[in-house]
Amino acid sequence: MSNINVIIADDHELFRNGLAELLKKYEDVQIVKSVSDGQEFISLIQTQQDIDVVLLDIAMPNMDGFQVLNEMKALNSSVKPIIISMHDDGNYIAKCAKNGAYGYLLKNTDQEELIKAIRIVHAGKKYFSPSISEKMINFMSDNSVSANILSNKEQEVLGLISEGLTTKAIATQLFVSSRTIETHRANILRKLEVKNTAELIKKAAKINLI
Amino acid sequence: MSLRSLILTITNGLVFIVVLMLSFTFYNQFSNTIDERILLQLNSIKTLKKVQIENLIKNEWDLFLSAKPVSSNLDSLDLKESFNLPQTSGVYDVTQHTKSGYTLIVMVSVEDSITRIKGIDNNKVTEILLERAGMGNTGESYLVGHDFLMRSPSRFFPNKTPSKIRVDTKGVRDAFQGNIGKDVFADYRGVQVYSAYSPIQIFNLSLVILSEIDTSEVTAPLKNLRVRLFGLIVIIMLVAVVLSLFLTRLITTPILNMQNSLKVMAAGDYRDGNESVKISNEIKEMFDALAHLKKSLQGAVHFSKEIGEMNLNSKYLPKSESDVLGMSLLKMQDKLIEYRNNENKSSLNAKRLLVDGLEKERQRLSRELHDGIGPLLTTLKFYIENKIESKEQQAEMKKIVDSTINEIRLMSNALMPSAINDFGVGAALSNFIEGVNKSANVDIVFEDLTKKEKSKITKAHEINIFRIGQELINNALKHSEAKQIRISLSEFDDFVSFFYFDNGKGFDINHVKLGSGIVNIKERVEICKGQIQINSKDGNTTFEIELPLNNE
Repeated sequence: MSNINVIIADDHELFRNGLAELLKKYEDVQIVKSVSDGQEFISLIQTQQDIDVVLLDIAMPNMDGFQVLNEMKALNSSVKPIIISMHDDGNYIAKCAKNGAYGYLLKNTDQEELIKAIRIVHAGKKYFSPSISEKMINFMSDNSVSANILSNKEQEVLGLISEGLTTKAIATQLFVSSRTIETHRANILRKLEVKNTAELIKKAAKINLI
Repeated sequence: MSLRSLILTITNGLVFIVVLMLSFTFYNQFSNTIDERILLQLNSIKTLKKVQIENLIKNEWDLFLSAKPVSSNLDSLDLKESFNLPQTSGVYDVTQHTKSGYTLIVMVSVEDSITRIKGIDNNKVTEILLERAGMGNTGESYLVGHDFLMRSPSRFFPNKTPSKIRVDTKGVRDAFQGNIGKDVFADYRGVQVYSAYSPIQIFNLSLVILSEIDTSEVTAPLKNLRVRLFGLIVIIMLVAVVLSLFLTRLITTPILNMQNSLKVMAAGDYRDGNESVKISNEIKEMFDALAHLKKSLQGAVHFSKEIGEMNLNSKYLPKSESDVLGMSLLKMQDKLIEYRNNENKSSLNAKRLLVDGLEKERQRLSRELHDGIGPLLTTLKFYIENKIESKEQQAEMKKIVDSTINEIRLMSNALMPSAINDFGVGAALSNFIEGVNKSANVDIVFEDLTKKEKSKITKAHEINIFRIGQELINNALKHSEAKQIRISLSEFDDFVSFFYFDNGKGFDINHVKLGSGIVNIKERVEICKGQIQINSKDGNTTFEIELPLNNE
């Protein structure tokens, strides 16, 4: 069984030391080096080739975790990053996953889960715990991006306009201000290149938006 | 001296003098004319009678001469014995020599030593003299002899022998000097008369004829005239006084009103005074001008009052180029507006700086907790896992550390969620609301329509929007008993709209007792130069906030 070469990138020395101490118990894990910021880490992987996994903090001076992920992508690095952060919000998790993180761990994760994640990631698979996955999926479902010309909200407003509701009625129903609906309406007219509501309904029906 | 008495004195004095002079002149003229006319009339009467008497005597003489010379009887004549017949022919006044004293004029003819004598009929003379046509009630004509005794009967003493009446008047004396004349003097009775007189010098006769009329009779109409003139003067003066009183009233009343109005205005009171009667155009115009002045002063006063109350949007139009007061008030307004704008700007700046400082401090604390203490606690957890032998103790300690880390995370997020910096206000609010939804018994739906890429919302705006949302939700949880909260945050090209709705019990917008929550929200909207509209009633409370983008 080959050793897993691990780098810890975190700006808190005590944390790095604690983590290193913890991982020493596992013979298949080798802590190659601890770095205190993103820049140091990037220059390290450019010179040292045999690194398998990095335990990467998000909040760091000079270059934060997100930037490090982007930089690694740009360098086409083979190092597999596992984010280890204090943030437990879905958007952080989703962003990291999107930017190429192989795993996402909270800093107060138990050591069993920690070593499990390192091993899975090293094997080439991604690891997101059930609670982390749930948070990420919740966030993603809230923010599904519409591929259509119109945004989801605009689509919804268009539907209500086609039902003949007034601006005020739509605003009340959607819990937004009248001005917001007016602006949405103006934006829909602009995007569909029509001048008035009648033309809008005609065009929307033609391209199957309603 | 007041205007009123001045006008009264001058006009009435003038009227009095004019009337008096007119009356006097008129009276004098009238009186002179009467004098002249009456004297002329008397003169012509006297002349007529003189001629008649002279003719009578001439005729008698001619008849006497042409008669046959017959010696006449002296006895038939009433002559005294001592009378000696004149020795030459002629007409003689022999009244002095009559026994009875009656007037007797005799004609004597001495021809060839025959002496004839004949008396002239006294009645014929008297008839001429007593003809009193045009002589009124007191007029008479009479003859006076050289001895200043009357020769014809007096009208006033018809029974008295004429030769017993002595007439020694100015006229008689003057006539015996050979003068013809007319004058006013006292007659034989001592009564003032108008008199025309002339001597009769025919043959040897030397008589004076006088035609006279009492002045009292002539001047009787003058007296009437005098009374009437006096009455007229009194009436005219009365009318003049009344008229001038009316006139002065007419003139002085508006002037006095004007004076009062000006006094009131001088005391600083520019309110509308009572209306006064305006009769003439000039006075009307004067009052119009005063009213205009009052109005413009009122305008200025009102305007300065408005300025004084810092209602700087009130309008004022200067009355003219030279409306110095208006101009300086406008200048003052401009200065005050400038001052207020500067003050607003600096107070807004101060608020912004304060809020910025506060948020910075919160962020610093939040980071400190999250990135400083958090990792220390996780490190502590590693040590527990490494060093604590007893599995039981280890689990218990790890549990305590975990909950401490969670608490720190919550505190840090409440102070300043790092998601604001990393993902924007939409994400931060989403996270916050997710946390609230887990712990509170309320249904909150948040719709995040901010742009995920290239959002133009500035960091400061994001923090303010997040705080507003946080404040609203906290308020709702504490006070509103709302079961439903709907929040939407929509980003457009030039503005961002934040809409909040809850179905709680609402509040009175004008008497908010929600601490400084709404004040804080308004302040943050103001800092962002945005607009806020709050509606609240039972079951429906909405906040509509709109913040401009791209403005800075």
